[in-house]
Amino acid sequence: MRELIGRWLHTRAQRLPLDFRVLHRQFLLRVVDLEALSIEADIPSYLGQFAGVLIMISLMHGFGLMVFPPPPGPETWVYEQARIADIQLVIGLCAVLMWDSTFPDKRDAMVLGPLPVLPRTILLAKLAASSSVLGIALIALNFASGAAMSIVFGGGSNGMIRFFLGWSFTLLAASAFLYGAVLAIQGLGALLLPRKLFLRASAILQLAAFGGVLAGRFLHPWLATFSELTNPAHRTLLAWSPTFWFFALFNHINGTLPRELQWIANRAWIALAIVLTASLSSLALCYLRTMKNTVEQPDLEPGASSLAWLPRLGSSLQSAITLFCFRSIMRSRQHRVALAFYWSIVFAIALSMARKMITEPPHRVSNGLIMPTILMMGFAVVGLRGVFSLPISLKANWMLRITQLRPTSDYTAATRRSLQLFGVLPILIVAAVLAYHFRPLSHAYRHVAFLAVFGCILVELSLIHFDKVPFTCSFMPGKTNIQVIFWGAAFVCIILALLFGAYESQALAQPRQYAILLAWSLAAAVGLWIFNRIHARTAVLYYEEVLPEVIIKLGLTVLPAAQAQQKP
Amino acid sequence: MLELRRVSKHFSGIPAVDDVSFCARPGQVTGYLGPNGSGKSTTIKMITGLIEMTAGQILFNGNLIDDDIVSYKRRMGYVPEEPHLYNHLSGAEYLTMVADLRGLPARPASERIDGMLRLLSLYDDRHAGIAGYSKGMRQKILIAAALMHNPDLVLLDEPFSGLDVGSALVLRSLISELAARGKVVLFSSHELDTVERISDRVVILHRGKVVADDSIERLRSLMELPTLEAIFSQLAVEHDTDSMARQLADLIRA
Repeated sequence: MRELIGRWLHTRAQRLPLDFRVLHRQFLLRVVDLEALSIEADIPSYLGQFAGVLIMISLMHGFGLMVFPPPPGPETWVYEQARIADIQLVIGLCAVLMWDSTFPDKRDAMVLGPLPVLPRTILLAKLAASSSVLGIALIALNFASGAAMSIVFGGGSNGMIRFFLGWSFTLLAASAFLYGAVLAIQGLGALLLPRKLFLRASAILQLAAFGGVLAGRFLHPWLATFSELTNPAHRTLLAWSPTFWFFALFNHINGTLPRELQWIANRAWIALAIVLTASLSSLALCYLRTMKNTVEQPDLEPGASSLAWLPRLGSSLQSAITLFCFRSIMRSRQHRVALAFYWSIVFAIALSMARKMITEPPHRVSNGLIMPTILMMGFAVVGLRGVFSLPISLKANWMLRITQLRPTSDYTAATRRSLQLFGVLPILIVAAVLAYHFRPLSHAYRHVAFLAVFGCILVELSLIHFDKVPFTCSFMPGKTNIQVIFWGAAFVCIILALLFGAYESQALAQPRQYAILLAWSLAAAVGLWIFNRIHARTAVLYYEEVLPEVIIKLGLTVLPAAQAQQKP
Repeated sequence: MLELRRVSKHFSGIPAVDDVSFCARPGQVTGYLGPNGSGKSTTIKMITGLIEMTAGQILFNGNLIDDDIVSYKRRMGYVPEEPHLYNHLSGAEYLTMVADLRGLPARPASERIDGMLRLLSLYDDRHAGIAGYSKGMRQKILIAAALMHNPDLVLLDEPFSGLDVGSALVLRSLISELAARGKVVLFSSHELDTVERISDRVVILHRGKVVADDSIERLRSLMELPTLEAIFSQLAVEHDTDSMARQLADLIRA
């Protein structure tokens, strides 16, 4: 079957122009930046593993729905709204992660500019590459859950088919809307703003879009009944929420939309038309107008001026490494988006808690505070540590090796400082704000104090055998089994957080038990710190570099035929 | 004094540098020449400690460099062949990072960086990203980073690459000035005219082996050739260059 599909796809692909096929393949592989990977990385396998994570989510949703179907009535609509919001979240995050991959960049302009390749071929190849990734994500995320929904909600074979087709079309439209909106914002920005300003604004827009996508999912209210949906108080919400537009669109296609809500479905069609027109026209104009500007302008603009005073973050080495980490994360798209993957989970948890803070009265300190903040700390530190493993420029590492004048333990201390500053500290601040919603306050802030120690433990765990400077070694995604690691880690983390949350909520109420818990945690942190310090004394800093394994020659040798001519 | 004793480096069993020995003395500029692939950059990388030797010894002031690599690195400045830099930093940020990594005191280092950036005509662009720098500007950043700590040993691998005429003249004088101040200067270049003007002695490498190691005057008189270019052609260029050019032109036409 796999062979048949492969052969069919190959035959279809052969009909496309050669230059388009070559570029499409290149751009598709470049969704994951090649520089960020080890030379041994297997990129298709890496992408396949991410698809595997999404397939697992889909299977879990589908299985859950088949085993525990919601009762007919209002919960069906809520389920549909939530699933549309989930798909929008995933597609939105993908679109944000692929941020400017559809637009002409300097590398493309420099390499492809002198070649006889039309700008429209580049544009179409890039669009096709981005669409392929989004399509794979959409299919992977929907195939099992969509089928299960059709069986549970469809009612009869005809109803099932109609439901499945309508649902699939709705998700496709919702995805196209989101991706189109991202492209339109960027395209209009690129056309209207001077390039230097656009490059700066683009990074801010990316972060704003990231926040918007998360807030759109985790702060979104659900409207379960017909009376709620027709309540005039909710009219503004319905008018401006894409989730409700596409929820109405689906029910319109499925024939289950009340006439009073038809106007919401119409909004989906109008929004889709506007967004697709704006994105495609702005993209086309970008390729025609800004390709030359792209060559002339540097892609990176760190700022016209710099602060005369910069904070000293410890010793000169600690300052150098910490500022290097900060700048790498802030200025490198690859690193920003990789970190965003983990931080999206942190933000999602924080936003869910913030929503409760706004809408509900204060809660008692329990798992509602403990587990989410522990998970936030876990994802923040692990995510940062993961991003530290992505190289920024392997070939530039020689400078760090030439200037390595201090022992490995000093470099470990500098990395520790970076993890504490950019991983632990922000979560502590957020947790301290969120803790204000819990009572008694003394218990809530005891938990924050414990969280600080827990963060230090995680930092020390992250540093075990990390004999490297952040961003100097290449990660080998193709060689790791991401889906197993991801689900394994998520499962273990949640179980541990649940068990621990129950224990800690008891301990917070009893000063003696809390003191013992804190003492043991401190002992663990100090023990790990000592272990890392002793290990670093004898460890040698490791750098991965692309060294030539063979001697490279120009091969300018006299051809045998010419030699023969010269001999007489 | 920098001394190489029977240094070799093999990549996958193929010798890139084969039994190389020579000395570079303080107060002298030593030119290190050879065709592409002859092993010049590999030798310099071994001297910096970036790659391991397969065999041999490297000594600086009579001590094996591996005996105290840290104090050796403190006294060494290196300009690599390729201007690989962290492109996401600005020129000023990169130099400040190098100064911090070298442990130079913050205020004097900052003043020195500012001064170097002014002299190298990079001051106005110091806050722009290195990604936007020209090859010459990157080369200047490399030179500033290599010299900011006042090293005793200066290793320059193709330091003139990408520099405009004015900057190349400044660098040429700078190399002589550094040697005059008692530093050990070893530099490799394909610009034979420049090497001839500023080098006190040259080491010529061919297929990983030293084929000449002497002062230019002695080589001229020994080989009875008028210029360094003629000496180099005789020792290290195997092919008839005119014939090769003709063949390439014919190949394109075909």
